[in-house]
Amino acid sequence: MSWHVDAPLLRRYLAGDTDLAAALSIEAHVSGCGACRALLPDDPAWLEDSWSGVADRVIVAQRGPMERLLVRVGVGTPSARLLAATPSLRRSWWAAVVAALAFTVAAAHAAAGDDRGLLLFLALAPLLPVAGVAVAYGPLADPVHELTVGAPMSGLRLLLIRAAAVLCTTVGLALLALPLLPALSWTAAGWLLPALALTTVSLVLGSWLSPVRASAAVTAVWLGLVALVAVPGADALMLFRAGAQAWFAALLGAAGALLLARRGSFDVGGGR
Amino acid sequence: MNEPTVEINGLGRRFGRLRALDDVSFSLDDGITGLLGPNGAGKTTMLRCLATVETPDTGRLRILRRDPGRVSERTEIRRRLGYLPQEPGFYPNFTAYDFLDYLAVLKELVDDGQRRREVRRVLDAVDLGDRAMTKIRKLSGGMRRRLALAQALLADPQLLILDEPTTGLDPGQRLRFRDLVSRLGEDRTVLLSTHQTEDVAALCERVIVMDRGRVLFDGPPRGLAETARGSVWLAEQRPAGGGVTWRNADGRYRTIGDPPAGAELADPTIEDGYLLLVGDAALADVA
Repeated sequence: MSWHVDAPLLRRYLAGDTDLAAALSIEAHVSGCGACRALLPDDPAWLEDSWSGVADRVIVAQRGPMERLLVRVGVGTPSARLLAATPSLRRSWWAAVVAALAFTVAAAHAAAGDDRGLLLFLALAPLLPVAGVAVAYGPLADPVHELTVGAPMSGLRLLLIRAAAVLCTTVGLALLALPLLPALSWTAAGWLLPALALTTVSLVLGSWLSPVRASAAVTAVWLGLVALVAVPGADALMLFRAGAQAWFAALLGAAGALLLARRGSFDVGGGR
Repeated sequence: MNEPTVEINGLGRRFGRLRALDDVSFSLDDGITGLLGPNGAGKTTMLRCLATVETPDTGRLRILRRDPGRVSERTEIRRRLGYLPQEPGFYPNFTAYDFLDYLAVLKELVDDGQRRREVRRVLDAVDLGDRAMTKIRKLSGGMRRRLALAQALLADPQLLILDEPTTGLDPGQRLRFRDLVSRLGEDRTVLLSTHQTEDVAALCERVIVMDRGRVLFDGPPRGLAETARGSVWLAEQRPAGGGVTWRNADGRYRTIGDPPAGAELADPTIEDGYLLLVGDAALADVA
């Protein structure tokens, strides 16, 4: 060994006054020289702080792209972590939503002039958040549900955080698809209120049934309604006009109130 | 007089026609208690009720001096409870650190610095500190089991509920697990279910044996062994009759039950006591 770390150099190193090359050289030497290593202060607090700093940098670098994006747009790191674990906020889910929307937009163009072409888009758009919420929470969709349901922050709060995230992303994608429809009118935005109402109803039903079954029940009823208005001679867009919107607003309010009343039932019965 | 950490009175739980818990009563205080029983004995349902993820149909349950039937008290119980389920489930694309960080958030550790320190503490406690950034899908079965145990230790719980914690651990890991749990049991209440009578003998100051939803024995492990005194026999030849018989390492046949011809009495073990109590159900497990 050609040299050892002398006292002045060690003082400058510990104070952080050496340049990077000197610091790296000292660290390489110290790792192989017991005598010089013994000169380093034995300070557990300093060591813990150093390791914490290193670990924090490594942890930030390891975050997934969606979690990094959420933190960048101002979501707190705890909430971003909760959302990163949401099964329906993965790229595969987004790809499926985009594909479904693209299909309905193409169908609307193919049936230009016929309201039933637009109906396919309007009927599907409210079901996207319903399906997303179904696979965001619950024993069938979440492999960690048994641990989740036994934690203090669980149940309705986690469900609502995840449901809000799913709602924002799916509604956002559907809104982006709106200008691509052949004839843009206020009726084309008539799916928004049904989307909120159906999602809330499926959340409420989830307090009795599993989220997947609740979602399936809501979807079946909705498709039944759509089938009724899709018959020739009927007003295909009836469910999306102003009169029906008032009913969906009332349904949304009632379901929201019931959801609050049923909040205690979301954090037991983890399912096996 | 202080109220025990856990107090169970006449607890019952049915799943359709199956009576998973049938009038179960016991209480728990600081220390380690083992819950022994064959598959289907009701152990997991019992532990899920204590972990507040299952609601009993009948009976009275008090956990950490609170009523889990009330939402606010249930949340307070969960803040001070660690639970390792039999099948915890994982996000395979998460790292070990991410997984614990996620569960730490659910345990209301929302301060970033505090959460990082806590996650590192529990990773070190289960010897997974060097695997923090490894994806869960790349961890072995034993490592996953330790990771699941680590999450139960988050937030330093006063009550630990561990369902089959030693499943999938190799002998070395099992030894380290026993060391960890024995230290934890010094100042808190630990209830662990297991099939392994060795774990009970090594760790527990008290054992509860369950079968078909009922408590068959509640007492010290030595007491469980004593229930078989006078019923354990050693013979040179395999006995012709029924009962539980197996060949020991020394070539002699150990029988629990009626004495075979020419057999001599043997000192009973915890396993002997357990097999005598549970009998056919334990043999069905082995089969």
